[in-house]
Amino acid sequence: MRDTLTSLRYRYWPDHLLGEILSKRWTETAIPVILLLIIGLALSRSIDNFLSPASLADTARQAGEIGFIALGLALVVIVGGIDLSVGSIFALTDFCALYLLDVLGWPVPAVVVATLLCGALLGAVNGVLIGYLRLRAFITTLITLIIYRSTYDLLIQRYSNAIASAFPDIPSWDFIGGGSVFGIPTVALVYVVIAIFGHIFLTRLRPGWHITAIGGSRRSAYNSGIPVRRTIALCYVASGVLTSIAALFFASRLGTVGGDIGVGLEVIVLTATVLGGITLGGGKGSVAKSAVGVLIVLLITNGLTTMNARGGVNRMALAGILLVAAMVDIRWQKNRTRIISKVYVAPTYHALPPPPPTEIGQGGPFEQNDKLRNVELVGLGRIEAPEDVILDRHDNLYAGSRHGDIMRFLAPDYQTMEVFAHIGGQPLGMAFDRQDNLYVCIGGMGLYRITPDGTVEKATDETNRSMRSVNDDSRLRLADDLDITDDGLIFFSEATVRYEMDEWPIDGLEARGNGRIISYDTKTGATRTELRGLKFPNGIAVASDGQSILFAETFGCSIKRYWFAGAKKGKVEVVMDNLPGYPDNINLASDGNYWLALVGMRSPSLDLAWKMPGFRRRMAKRVPVDEWLFPNINTGCVVKFNEQGKILESFWDLHGENHPMITSMREHRGYLYLGGILNNRIGRYKLDNADPNFVQYDKRWGKPS
Amino acid sequence: MIAAVREFANRFLGRGDATITVPSFDGALKPNQKLESVETLLTCEAPEDLAVDGPNLFIADGRRLLCFNAGSASQVRSFEQPVSALCALPGGGIAVALGGREVRLYANPSAEQPRVTFAEAAFNAINALTLADDNTLIATDGSATCGVDDWARDLMELNRTGRVFRLDPGSKTVTALAQGLGHAFGACAYGNGVLVSESWRHRLALVTPGASPRSVLGHLPVYPSRLAKASGGGYWLTAFTARTQLIEFVLREPAYRRRMMAEIAPEYWVAPRLRSGISFKEPMQGAHIKTMGVIKPWAPPRSYGLVIRLNADGQPLYSLHSRVDGVNHGVVAAVEMGDDLVLIAKGPGRVLRVPLAGLAEELCS
Repeated sequence: MRDTLTSLRYRYWPDHLLGEILSKRWTETAIPVILLLIIGLALSRSIDNFLSPASLADTARQAGEIGFIALGLALVVIVGGIDLSVGSIFALTDFCALYLLDVLGWPVPAVVVATLLCGALLGAVNGVLIGYLRLRAFITTLITLIIYRSTYDLLIQRYSNAIASAFPDIPSWDFIGGGSVFGIPTVALVYVVIAIFGHIFLTRLRPGWHITAIGGSRRSAYNSGIPVRRTIALCYVASGVLTSIAALFFASRLGTVGGDIGVGLEVIVLTATVLGGITLGGGKGSVAKSAVGVLIVLLITNGLTTMNARGGVNRMALAGILLVAAMVDIRWQKNRTRIISKVYVAPTYHALPPPPPTEIGQGGPFEQNDKLRNVELVGLGRIEAPEDVILDRHDNLYAGSRHGDIMRFLAPDYQTMEVFAHIGGQPLGMAFDRQDNLYVCIGGMGLYRITPDGTVEKATDETNRSMRSVNDDSRLRLADDLDITDDGLIFFSEATVRYEMDEWPIDGLEARGNGRIISYDTKTGATRTELRGLKFPNGIAVASDGQSILFAETFGCSIKRYWFAGAKKGKVEVVMDNLPGYPDNINLASDGNYWLALVGMRSPSLDLAWKMPGFRRRMAKRVPVDEWLFPNINTGCVVKFNEQGKILESFWDLHGENHPMITSMREHRGYLYLGGILNNRIGRYKLDNADPNFVQYDKRWGKPS
Repeated sequence: MIAAVREFANRFLGRGDATITVPSFDGALKPNQKLESVETLLTCEAPEDLAVDGPNLFIADGRRLLCFNAGSASQVRSFEQPVSALCALPGGGIAVALGGREVRLYANPSAEQPRVTFAEAAFNAINALTLADDNTLIATDGSATCGVDDWARDLMELNRTGRVFRLDPGSKTVTALAQGLGHAFGACAYGNGVLVSESWRHRLALVTPGASPRSVLGHLPVYPSRLAKASGGGYWLTAFTARTQLIEFVLREPAYRRRMMAEIAPEYWVAPRLRSGISFKEPMQGAHIKTMGVIKPWAPPRSYGLVIRLNADGQPLYSLHSRVDGVNHGVVAAVEMGDDLVLIAKGPGRVLRVPLAGLAEELCS
């Protein structure tokens, strides 16, 4: 009963998605967006006409204006600085526009250009001081805030009457502030255009990347040849220009130069920036975050105003939000990776029935024996991590090594070892094709082809991305074993899409179907995912009908058969399940049956833990990996089975001293060669009654050997 | 209320009592492989305890009582139950605990009838006997519910029912000195009190009349077992197995422990053992994977061999180890005999001998 509940709970609740979503970079934007939706919903519920077109247009107008300033501040913050003088620049450029238009009577285009220039100039003062003279951004912009504000105060004392008494009636000027296209205010439209450009600029263009790089690490950016000082200076100039654009729209809309214009604006904009998720430390941020932040702040202030809150309350609310947002930002940035690593591992319910007996005297096909005790050893202490072994028709022995090489032991005595090909990743399963090319699965890299003269070529390292996966699973993470069909289709397994090769124990701890089987067409070069949701798929062998493959699911402790052609195309059937150990590679035997390596054996304590996902999740959090309960892969065996799922024979090394681990085996001319991924040796075992001329892939391709 | 909240927070965050840290083998406990290179005197089926009387070394081996003298062992007698503790008495007598439930005193090892028999109903798992200064016997009883050999269940059930008794052969009375101990296993007289190994609390506790047990040596990375006096002051403290973070973690997982005890055979539990690596069905931990044909000695020990030399204040001076890649695990008894230290490694069923000459100098450096 309890197990049923647990199993249902873990089948239908996707625990693994939380970690995958959190590790996406867009979550940092998604959280402010959710906040925005919540606030929007709450306000539209409590305030009438909150979502009416007039109200929305008004919000959009304000949002556009503040949005420009926020964009400028975002740039400055991303590059690693801060600009407190935006409020004063806003006031000064507002004055500039109105003075030029109302007092001097300049034409509108000239006013626009001159105002933008004015903004650029004011920003450039900050830029030169901070970028080139290396002053602290905070103190510098605090000083320019005061200076600009004083200048503004002096100027309006002289000219405010002149400006206030003028009522220019210029349609193009009014259109800037009050016009709309299809009901959308001009300012919002211009903002959208500039925001789209800003997004492209930050994410796709070189200067945008430079800005992010400088914010991330100024010194590294300098060392990589980025013009740090100039870029920083230009960011402040851009901030000035963007602020002056906002001032232009504001001037056109209201046409006033009151004493409190732009006062406290920096707090509003800064709150919007931090609330949107742009980190104050620099190096992280986007246009979308800035826009979302502005909307949240506007909704809150407008909402409070509509609810007749006093000005003081309004500011206090903003300051409080800024404080909380900055705190959350700092804690999140500091603990992000820790939180993700804690929630990423998501064990699931995995129940196996009690395994068949293996003890001596208990009988059964898995009864232990000591047949493998006296295997000969090849390359002891010289080869490291031969996961799979294969022999060519000249009896040379090939094996992978953890140094990323395919090593070749020369026949007949296998004393000479040479590097056949260097690939760079851990070679796993191997197979020869019709042209004697060696296809190898490389952990972490993909499927590779090595021509008979030792040239390494990439076959594939990418498949189609699945639509329902949060993680991008198009790249191959752990290609494991393969076999080639008569039509030149290569079926290979990818053990897990959630972890790297060295993290296989974590996948074992999760015991979820994270793996898949992929096909690669040697004729067209197309790669396609055939099956997914498999529990660590491993060994693969083409079945005798040529229309199906047998594959092993290591943590599923089963062998299954998948039809890729013929009448049963697309079907999967269980050949054997509830094995007493963890199946690894499968290869053809000379008598038409199959060899299967059991890399490790099941232990009751882990079988029980697999039924208790909560226990494993806590273990993953509290206990270091070295102390985790592991699948026992110190003892294994080789079994021979047929397509009907019957175990014909088993070969054990009781104490595992000679050849501790078996991940693969290959029959060749009357001998069985044994590989093990954590071994420093290759085993060679003389088989009784085996075909002395059997060369696996020559028989397969019908070649004389 | 606050305590309950704190406990919940601790469990949730893995803090306080929920931490699973294990002290490292450090200082005087710095690991070596000394126990792997010592001489094996004798291999027997189920050695349990040792006693020395002059030139004779008595060994409790299952139901048999062996006497080892001048290089060869001979059976002295056998009992109807396994011997769970042994102690030499002054004047050539011997005391044995049988099956943890009965203590018999014999005037000499081959005497037909016991001189005194203590068979209190309270006795359940008498696992060590030692002689006090006033010729009374001190007996430690590991658990009120689990038998002598069922100590792993006692640990997994988080029992704290160990007791210490004083047996007075003169008046034939039994006095309880302490109770509520976390598996009392081994004792030695110490001043007016008794030094007791409290395995599940990983400490040596001093039990004095009229006071609650006081920790003398705490925070051990092992589960301590029997104690013996050393010549020149001080003690030999054996440790029958070592702690691991996984076991500490399992001890804080009631649901897993309950199902494990109900569904899995005890030899395959996630619990400390006297020997390991017999079957692939034993739990395996990450660091146990044989890499390039080698099992790492620093891997978390499922079984371990350790004897610690303590000074007169109960503080460690040096120690002899058999690490994860060794076999002389499960050291349950150590006793000095002449110039040698004789030990029982219960895991492989061996009686070992270590010459004491130069040992301190070799291991202290």
